[in-house]
Amino acid sequence: MRLNLLLFFLGAFFVSSAQDTVKVNTTISPEEQAQQNYNDGITALNKGEGQLAADLFSKSIELKPDFEKALYNRCVAYTLVRNYPSAMSDINKVLSTSPNNIEARFAKAMVFFGQSQKDSTNRWLDNCLGIGKHAEAYYYKGIMSYQAGDYNEAIKEYSGAIEVKPDYAYAYNDRASAKRAINDLTGAIADYEKALSLNPSFVFVYNNLGSVYRVSKNYDKAIEYYTKAMTAKPDYLIALNNRGAAKLESGKLDDAKKDFEEVLKKDPKNSQAFNNLASVALKQKDYKKAKDMAGKAIELNANNGAAYFNRGIARQMLREEDGSCADWKKAADLGVSAAKSFMNTDCN
Amino acid sequence: MDIGIEFYEQGRKEFDDFRKGLMSDKTLPVSTRDYLHVGNENFKSAQSPLMDAQKFNPKNAKLNYMLGFIRFFEAPASKEALGFLSDAFRLDPETEQDLPYWLGWCYQLNVNWDEAIKYYNVYLGRLNLKPKSHVVEIEDVQKKIAECNNGKIFSAKPERVFVDNLGPAVNTQYPEYSPAITADEETVIFTARRDNSTGGKKDSDAGFYEDLYISTKSNGKWQPSKLLSKNVNSEFHDASAGLSPDGSKLFVYRHSGKDGGDLYESTLFGIDWEPPVHMNKNINTKYHESSVSLSFDGKRIYFVSDKSGGFGDRDIYYSDMDLKGEWGLSKNLGPDINTKYGEEGVFMHPDGKTMYFSSQGHNNIGGYDIFMSTLENGKWSKPVNLGYPINGPDDDVFFVVSGSGNRAYFSSSKQGGYGDKDIYKITFLGPEKEPLLSTEDQLLAMVANPISNLKTEAAVEIKTSKLTILKGVVTDAKTNAVLEATIDLIDNDKNEVLATFKSNSATGKYLVTLPSGKNYGIAVKREGYLFHSENFNLPDNADYQEFTKDVALKKIEVGSTIVLRNIFFDFDKATIRPESANELDRLIKLLNDNPTLKIELGSHTDSKGSDDYNMKLSDSRSKSVVDYLITKGISAGRLVAKGYGETKPIDTNDTDAGRQNNRRTEFKILEK
Repeated sequence: MRLNLLLFFLGAFFVSSAQDTVKVNTTISPEEQAQQNYNDGITALNKGEGQLAADLFSKSIELKPDFEKALYNRCVAYTLVRNYPSAMSDINKVLSTSPNNIEARFAKAMVFFGQSQKDSTNRWLDNCLGIGKHAEAYYYKGIMSYQAGDYNEAIKEYSGAIEVKPDYAYAYNDRASAKRAINDLTGAIADYEKALSLNPSFVFVYNNLGSVYRVSKNYDKAIEYYTKAMTAKPDYLIALNNRGAAKLESGKLDDAKKDFEEVLKKDPKNSQAFNNLASVALKQKDYKKAKDMAGKAIELNANNGAAYFNRGIARQMLREEDGSCADWKKAADLGVSAAKSFMNTDCN
Repeated sequence: MDIGIEFYEQGRKEFDDFRKGLMSDKTLPVSTRDYLHVGNENFKSAQSPLMDAQKFNPKNAKLNYMLGFIRFFEAPASKEALGFLSDAFRLDPETEQDLPYWLGWCYQLNVNWDEAIKYYNVYLGRLNLKPKSHVVEIEDVQKKIAECNNGKIFSAKPERVFVDNLGPAVNTQYPEYSPAITADEETVIFTARRDNSTGGKKDSDAGFYEDLYISTKSNGKWQPSKLLSKNVNSEFHDASAGLSPDGSKLFVYRHSGKDGGDLYESTLFGIDWEPPVHMNKNINTKYHESSVSLSFDGKRIYFVSDKSGGFGDRDIYYSDMDLKGEWGLSKNLGPDINTKYGEEGVFMHPDGKTMYFSSQGHNNIGGYDIFMSTLENGKWSKPVNLGYPINGPDDDVFFVVSGSGNRAYFSSSKQGGYGDKDIYKITFLGPEKEPLLSTEDQLLAMVANPISNLKTEAAVEIKTSKLTILKGVVTDAKTNAVLEATIDLIDNDKNEVLATFKSNSATGKYLVTLPSGKNYGIAVKREGYLFHSENFNLPDNADYQEFTKDVALKKIEVGSTIVLRNIFFDFDKATIRPESANELDRLIKLLNDNPTLKIELGSHTDSKGSDDYNMKLSDSRSKSVVDYLITKGISAGRLVAKGYGETKPIDTNDTDAGRQNNRRTEFKILEK
């Protein structure tokens, strides 16, 4: 499980389910010390300092071995630092004493989720939902379905999360993405807009909304939303690259080129921007430049399938047929399906 | 594509016909008859005094008209022709009634469609003053206006192609044209009029007589072309008229002067072509027969003739081979293909379905254009113009397409070549390939790392041939000596031999084209050897592919084994499927021809399933084959059935292809 994914999960998790802090008396007894350590652990956890939090919860548990809240939160801390065996040990102890603790069941699902154990994750999410409605459990069921490519099921699960928690902006965003995947672009736009209304600071939702408009070939709207994303977060290069793509697709080649060059000013090693400049050059029939730009994209990221694909086109037009076929083969190996088609039509 | 105006005996085309008319002084415009000596050479002699006169008085409309007219027939798309004719029209539009016609045609040949239409309409207006007197001319100019309108449409959306000269190994300062190419594009045979032509004589047009030349590819490069032997080339006109897909049969056009030109067939024997044999009366008539194309199985021939009874001018006909191996009565391809105008340069693609031909009578751009039609359920589809710049306002003929369908070969007088007509290769690029943009979206809120979201444009629409080319060399398994062998191509589903080919006696090379949509059995046979079998089950959607399969034939001797690739069983059963009949018949013939042979029939499985199950299945299958042979009269004492299960794989069991190879029936000679 990616660290940032966990950060999100834990962030959302604490908002809804971190155990309450405990009031501390001025005279320190062992129990009070345990409570103090526990509270410090929660502070560390909220700062994302997982290992420190785990150490503090451990001190607390040493002083008070039956401190269930500390065990639970240490599980969360261990999950944050990807110490899954320890996290699993803690949550199992919690569940042995409180088997119907819905948050503990969800936490166990998250430990499995962190280890990419899909079946176990789903089983414990179901266990969680078996004893009550739980917005995050529905939400993660939605993620599991989305990642499995079952977008209709994902929409159902995200809807469950929204039913429990009507202001669940993340669930709206993800449901919008699932709707986009099944080409329900109108539904996707409505959900992304709802997510933004609930949390206007979600920069990535502006970007996603821009992309739905781009897919719909509504390039003016696409450019508008990409621009909003960049206004909110000027170093958000994803949106800048995407805006360039929308401009290119709408035929504004020079404007597109400016966006891609702006990306490279801020991040000179941005392989995607080099590839997009290659795309501009291809459109302008400047095949030598396209070949050079795609070559730079490949130098920066040897797995950039789109860059191999584009360099293949440029090489074909430069009459370097062997090179173009080699590039398309590489692109096909990297999963670019159109390259396979070119291999068949142009490389016999 | 500019083919040029020079004429040669095989393919008189629009301009050539017109010029011949001029030479006979029958269609020469009245206005020029008094001033011009007719004929090619005399055009040149007339030009000089006219040029002197024009220098003296450049504002004489009639003089400009005459010079423009002469230049038009020497170089129809030339700036000089256009200049003289434009000046004539500017100075006095009425100087000759047909002036706007020639000017319009000149613009058409310069791909200036709007100007061409403008002048054609001026001419049409003049003709319409007395329409009953100008029925033919009105039809002609209306056709030309329609061509220009087509040209506007096609040239607005040009086809994307590369056009490459085949280079100095093939092309010279002399004319090279009418290429014929094998399906694998390894051999090209073409016509040329070079100074080393057989006999070294020149025709009345001052060019050398036509001969056939050949060039082969080595390491992807054309090797210097060679004159075919005197078996094929005579001291008169000998031109390439077509080549079978496997390169073993050559069709030659000859014109002896006694008839309109006939077709001959020559077979490759070893390294030389046998003397061409005059094709029978179902093909050749007293009229003009020119280009030929053979179907992939060699059982149908398509050819062009201007014999009577067609739809007008030259038409495309076909003839099927009868049981005696003779070409039967020819049939006209019908009005979907043939028009009242000329058709020429027929080429049947080895996919068995696609025909390319040239015509003056469909939605043309000008002169002969190249069209494509496909045979669907016994009916030819509406011909499709291959578009600009493959087709241009000039004649576009003798167009042959590679087995893959991605390339074509033709001749052209375009500038930048080695002189006169050269042979060029077209590479079809299909629609413009859209670049692939790198974009990203953060589709799942919890995934801060973006998910890469590559946008993929639709694939190009080039249609590759649904065709498989199988080629290789047949040798003796022990001595490696090359062998001439018979290759039967069998339709397993129908249990019939579709075609029989031979490997070359000198090189052992063979080439077989297999259109998709059949389960093919292939049997390579030679007396004294065990036959070799291959199976290609090609579904309708199987794309173009090339296989090189060298075949080493084994002598009939104790210990020799062969794999019987065309014996099929029901899934997980020992029941022999009907499509195995041809292979089994071959086996029976072998046993009957060699009555002392005792053989083992061994059956093998892949590794799927348990060892025990596979052993039992293979045992049952080998017994099924033996039982079948016994029912066909083979003595049981000569046959041993043995199941090997999965114990003797000849390939990996980790892939579908490997497992398919491992599932096999073999026979081994135990006693001779």
